Amino acid sequence: MAKYTPPQQDKTLQWVDIIVVVLAIFAALWLPLKMGWAGNSKVLEKIDNPTWETLGQTAAQVAQWNKLGYADAAAAHDIIQNKWDYTINWTQLIILAVALIGYFVFLFRASDKEYREVIDEKFNGK
Amino acid sequence: MWNTIANIGWALSAALALWMIYDWWKTDSTYSEATLTSSREGEIEAVSEKHKV
Amino acid sequence: MSSTTVNEAPQKVSLSRVLGPGHVWALGVGIVLVGEYTGWNFAADKGGTLAAMIICWVIGLLYTSVAMIDSEVTSTVAAAGGQYAQAKHIVGPLMAFNVALYLVFAYTMLEVSNAILVADTIKSYAGEDFTYWYHSGIEAAVIVVLAALNYRGVLMTLNVNFVITAIAFIAIIILFFSVQPWSQGAILKLGDMVTPENALPYGWLGVIAGFHWGIWYYLGIEGTTQAAEEVRSPARSLPYGTMAGMITLLVGASITWYVCASLMPWQYLGSTVYPLLDAGRLTENKTLEYMMFIATVLSALASANGCINDAARAWFSLGRDRYLPSWFSAVHPKYRTPYRSIIFLVPIAIAFAFISDINQAITFSILSGVLHYTFMAINIMMFRKKWPLGSIRRGYTHPFHPLPAIVLFILCVVTYFAIFLGYGAQLTAMVVFYIIMSLWFHFYRYQYVKRGDQFTMPWPKPQGY
Repeated sequence: MAKYTPPQQDKTLQWVDIIVVVLAIFAALWLPLKMGWAGNSKVLEKIDNPTWETLGQTAAQVAQWNKLGYADAAAAHDIIQNKWDYTINWTQLIILAVALIGYFVFLFRASDKEYREVIDEKFNGK
Repeated sequence: MWNTIANIGWALSAALALWMIYDWWKTDSTYSEATLTSSREGEIEAVSEKHKV
Repeated sequence: MSSTTVNEAPQKVSLSRVLGPGHVWALGVGIVLVGEYTGWNFAADKGGTLAAMIICWVIGLLYTSVAMIDSEVTSTVAAAGGQYAQAKHIVGPLMAFNVALYLVFAYTMLEVSNAILVADTIKSYAGEDFTYWYHSGIEAAVIVVLAALNYRGVLMTLNVNFVITAIAFIAIIILFFSVQPWSQGAILKLGDMVTPENALPYGWLGVIAGFHWGIWYYLGIEGTTQAAEEVRSPARSLPYGTMAGMITLLVGASITWYVCASLMPWQYLGSTVYPLLDAGRLTENKTLEYMMFIATVLSALASANGCINDAARAWFSLGRDRYLPSWFSAVHPKYRTPYRSIIFLVPIAIAFAFISDINQAITFSILSGVLHYTFMAINIMMFRKKWPLGSIRRGYTHPFHPLPAIVLFILCVVTYFAIFLGYGAQLTAMVVFYIIMSLWFHFYRYQYVKRGDQFTMPWPKPQGY
């Protein structure tokens, strides 16, 4: 098999590649932050005029809250009543599963194709 | 006190960033690109590690 | 650029082999130990205090598998870039490209969360007038000072890491013995904090959901392999350093859970950013409190330091194979470090430290980590198939194959589901990002890569090709 000679990459094009990668990194990391997608399935279950009892805290637990600087139940209310909503959104789960499986299938198949070329050139090309 | 430390942090970051950029520029203009990018994967292993059974 | 050098055959520069097993331990544990100081406790938020303990041990099993698998492969493929070089030799170029991106993402975001942790910890003492400007100043200093240290050389970097990691670990041990763990009720009140009613507030679904943060007890231990090219005898030092690191972390994680669970109501434990510092505060002993303050900062510094080291090595390897412009593969002739890669990642880290908050940064890091472990489970199966035992010399052969790989794979699938519970959109966005990058690489960038040159190990041809 003929040895593959890659084309020379222009200096400018090298910079274009770097910029593309950086932009993609920022899009992937910054967009979810900007759109508020990150960890958004928490719900505040409000209790009016909370007391330690209605928040379900025992005397020993209240003592620790006090030591941590939460003088009364109202101060700790937002931490205690902020709860996760684990209702499963099946559509979203299926989309995610398809994306993940599709990603790994493509990844391994395309890698294998490239890998065969590498092995061919390294071991069979001599 | 912490605010002063944070300000020193800014100054230190700026100074070290400048030093790195200066050293980077100096290195790039002293040595050829071929020398700088001459590292190859597996070269040291070829000498030190023998993968014979 | 090259005008000043005389035209001889270009002189060779490479990374230098200066590290021993202690440095490997310092790199691995240094990166991870901060997970005990922050992050693991968010598992309590997702599933309750008892869930955090179950997860600590189940995820400990996942990581023991990771460490065993990794030790075998890496004691055979010893090159900078670690799992990147493994993927390139065993699965193929596109996989390698993705693995390197996982590594760079996982470590850079971990570095970012460390910088935020230091600033947040200081803010909790500094008071109200510690504004965004000061907060950012601390973050910038953490990132730039450690980058400069990395720039100056790997030996000094990891010597520093060894010392500060050891201090941070000893601090956990001292805290443990100071709270009289043998007599419950004196300071520790496990029975009062964790009651049958609140142990699993979300039931078993909460335990699964918590897997996500359980990763944080140990994430980064596999980073030891990044040093492969700089370790004096990688086939021996890497397995040894990694396993010693894993034992350190299992001990540290169990102690941390026990002390924190016995001192804080679970809702608080799940929301604080510095559980061990809070544990120090709750002992009402000022010396212990200040010790935990210093240890929290040191653990974050050790972690950021190791992350800069690892992310830069992965980025450097990408340049060396022309997966990215080869400009990144430059080695500093005097300091023998991948200096351009180190500098390049600094502004990215600083930008994210300024805009994101700590548990978002951690989630990004965890996502890339789990994708990475999924790869490792499949990778070891392919490694054993393409080069069966006996066909090449392995520095270490892990026992019970394929059990660790299967355990690892199943735990990864569970963890995807755990991340989905609460962070589904973020996970999907990340997967889309990796799909786009893979298409870009496969259909465009790969044309600039030399084919046969990528395979650098002196191995026989793989079976089946």
